[in-house]
Amino acid sequence: MSGAIIWTLVALGLAVLVVRRRSLAVALVTAQALVLVGLALDEAESSGDVLAAGALAVRAVVLAGLFLLLVSRTRSVRPVRARVAPLARAGIAVAFALALTWLVPAIGLASREAERGVLALIAFGIATAALRRATLFQIIGIVLVENALALAALQLPGGAAVAIELGVALDLMLVAVVAVVFYERIFAEFGTADSAALRALRD
Amino acid sequence: MTSREALAVAVIALPALAMMLLLLAPTGSVPRLARLAAVPTAVLALALTVLALRAPGQPVVGEWLVVDVAGALLVGVIGIVGLASVLVSPAYLDTGTDSLVSRQRRQRTYYASLYGFWAILLAVPLVGNLGAAWLLVEATTAASALLVGFSGHARALEAGWKYLVLTSLGLGVALLGIVMLAAGVPSGGLGGLSWHALSTYSGGSETALVAYLLLLAGLAAKIGWAPVHNWLPDAHSEAPPPVSALLSAALLPTVLLVAWRSQHALAPVVGEQTTRTVLIVFGLTSLGVAVPFLWRSLPWKRLLAYSSLEHIGVIALGIGFGTPLALAGVAIHIAAHAVAKALGFYAATPLLSHDPRAGEHAVTGIGRTQPALGATMGISLAALSGLPPSPLFVSEVLIVTGGFQAGHPWAASATALLLALGFLGLAHALIDTTAGDSPPRGRGAVAGLRGVTALTCVSVVLLLGLAAAAVALPGSDLADALVRGLS
Repeated sequence: MSGAIIWTLVALGLAVLVVRRRSLAVALVTAQALVLVGLALDEAESSGDVLAAGALAVRAVVLAGLFLLLVSRTRSVRPVRARVAPLARAGIAVAFALALTWLVPAIGLASREAERGVLALIAFGIATAALRRATLFQIIGIVLVENALALAALQLPGGAAVAIELGVALDLMLVAVVAVVFYERIFAEFGTADSAALRALRD
Repeated sequence: MTSREALAVAVIALPALAMMLLLLAPTGSVPRLARLAAVPTAVLALALTVLALRAPGQPVVGEWLVVDVAGALLVGVIGIVGLASVLVSPAYLDTGTDSLVSRQRRQRTYYASLYGFWAILLAVPLVGNLGAAWLLVEATTAASALLVGFSGHARALEAGWKYLVLTSLGLGVALLGIVMLAAGVPSGGLGGLSWHALSTYSGGSETALVAYLLLLAGLAAKIGWAPVHNWLPDAHSEAPPPVSALLSAALLPTVLLVAWRSQHALAPVVGEQTTRTVLIVFGLTSLGVAVPFLWRSLPWKRLLAYSSLEHIGVIALGIGFGTPLALAGVAIHIAAHAVAKALGFYAATPLLSHDPRAGEHAVTGIGRTQPALGATMGISLAALSGLPPSPLFVSEVLIVTGGFQAGHPWAASATALLLALGFLGLAHALIDTTAGDSPPRGRGAVAGLRGVTALTCVSVVLLLGLAAAAVALPGSDLADALVRGLS
C-alpha cells in the first residue's frame, strides 16, 4: 500500500475533526471508508476478501445515508459551537497522535507507515468524540476509530477473517442505528443536538 | 458433536429464535410468547451448567466454542437472571406507557431487545475466539443501549447516550489490542485468535504487554471498572429495573470473563505476575472509587449501581490474586452478587410504584409503610453488604485470604479495609431504608409486589445454598478447574 493513500486517509480524519458542518463531516468520513473499500478490493486475493470489501462498502453507504437523513431532520436554528477552536482541536489531536505513536511499539502490520496511520486515526476519532459538542460528531468519532481498525485489519500479515470483518461491519451499523434513534429523541426532548445539554446525571 | 457442544449451541439458538418470533408475532401474543420462551431457555442454560460442573476436568475446547467451569457458571447465572427479568417485566411495562418507540411497538421492541441481549450474553462465555468474543460484546451494546434509554425520558436518554458512546469508544481501543495480538499469532489473522492460539503469540513481550493493556483498558470501559466507569451509575439507575438486573448481574461479569480468559491466555507471553497486577490495580481502583459513594444518601438504584462497581472490583481482585482460594471466592461472588443484586433491582418496580420520589431521592423507612417490600430490599442490601450468613461474606473472606496467600499483603489488606468501609456504608443504608423515618406514602396497590415477594423467597434459598457451597468449594475439583481455565 502506498504511503500517499495512508496519509490521504489520515488527512480526511483530521479534516473531520476541524470542519464545522455535520454534512461535510459525514461526507469526509464516508470518503475515507470508500478509499478503504478501494484498497480492500485492490488487495483482495480471494472471494472472501471481496465479500469483506463489499461489507465495508455497504457499511459506508448505509451510515452515510443514515447520518445525512438525520442531519436533514434535525436542523438547528443555531449550529452547535464546539468548546475548542478548530486549530486548537487539530493541535490537540496531532499531539495525541504523536504521543500514541511514541508510546505504542511496533504493532506488527505490513509497514510502520500503516501503523502510524492507524494510531493517528484512532487518536483523531477519540479527539472528535471528546472535543466536539454536537452529538452526531461523537458517533462520527466512533466511525473514525472503526475506519482506523478496518485499515489495520487490511494490513494484517494473515489478513482478517471474513466472518470477523462482516461482524465488525454489522456491529457498527447496529450501533449507528441505535445512535440515530437516540439522536432524534435527544433532539426532540432537549431541542438541541448539543451534548452539553446531557448533564443532569451527576453525583 | 458432544452433548455439551450441542447443548451450548441450543442455549444460544433458542433465545435468538425467540427474538425472531417476537419480531413477527401478533402484538397481543408478544408478552405470552416472551414468558413461554424464557423457561426453556433458562432450563437449557442450567442443564449446560450442571453438565459442565459434573465434568470439571474435561472442558470442551474448540476453535469457536468452549465449555468450561467458569463459562458454565456464568451461563447458569445469565439463564436464571434472564428468566427472572422476563418474568418481572410485565409489572414494569404496566407501570407506564412512555418509550423510545410508539405505543403499538412498545412491548415488541422491549421483549425483542431483551431477548437479543439475553442471547448474546449467553453466547459470550461459550465463544472460543477472542475476535468473536469482541464482536459479541460490541453487539450487546446496541441491544442494551436501546433498553437503557427505553423509557424515552430525558435522564434515560442521557444515560443511554453516554453508555453507547463511552463503551463503543472503549471497545474500539480493545479492538486495537486484538489487532496487535492477531499480527503476532502464528495461525494468522483475526480468525486465528482462539484462546489457545493467544498463548502462542510471538511478536515480543513488550508488544504483547501493550496489546494486553489496550485490550483490558477497552474492556474496562464495558465492565465498568474505575476510572472508566462513568456510564455505569447512570445506565444502571435509568434503565428499566429488569434490564438493570441483567446489566449488573450478567453483563459486567460476562465481559469480565473475556478479560479473565485473555489474562490466562497471555500470561505465558506477558508474564503471570504482570497480567495479574493489572487486574489488581483495576480492582483496587474500582473498590476505592465505589466505597465513598456507598456512604452517601443515594436513590435506591444508584446505590445498587455503586455497589456493582464495588463488587466488580472485588471480582477483579480475586482473579488478580489467582490462587485456588481466591478463585473459589470469585465463583461464589459472581453467583451470589447476581442473586442479591438482581433482587434489589427487581424491588425497584414496586418501590417506584409505592414512592415515586425514590427515582431521584434516597428512600427511608420502607419497612414501616410496606413491610414485604422492606424485607426484599433489606435482604438484598444485607447480602450485598456481606453481612453473615451472606455468601458474599464468605467469598470476600476467601478472596482476601487468597490475596495474602498469593503474596500480595498490601493489596489484600487494602481490600479488607475498603470492604469493611463499604460494609459500614451499606449497613447504614440498610437501617435507613428499612427502618428509618418514613414520610407519608400512599396506601394504594403496589405494582409487581407479589412477584417480587415470590422471587425474594427463591433468592433466600439460593443465597443460603451458595453460602453452604462457599464453604465446600475450596479444595474441590471445581476450584482446581477454575485455576486451570481452558488448559
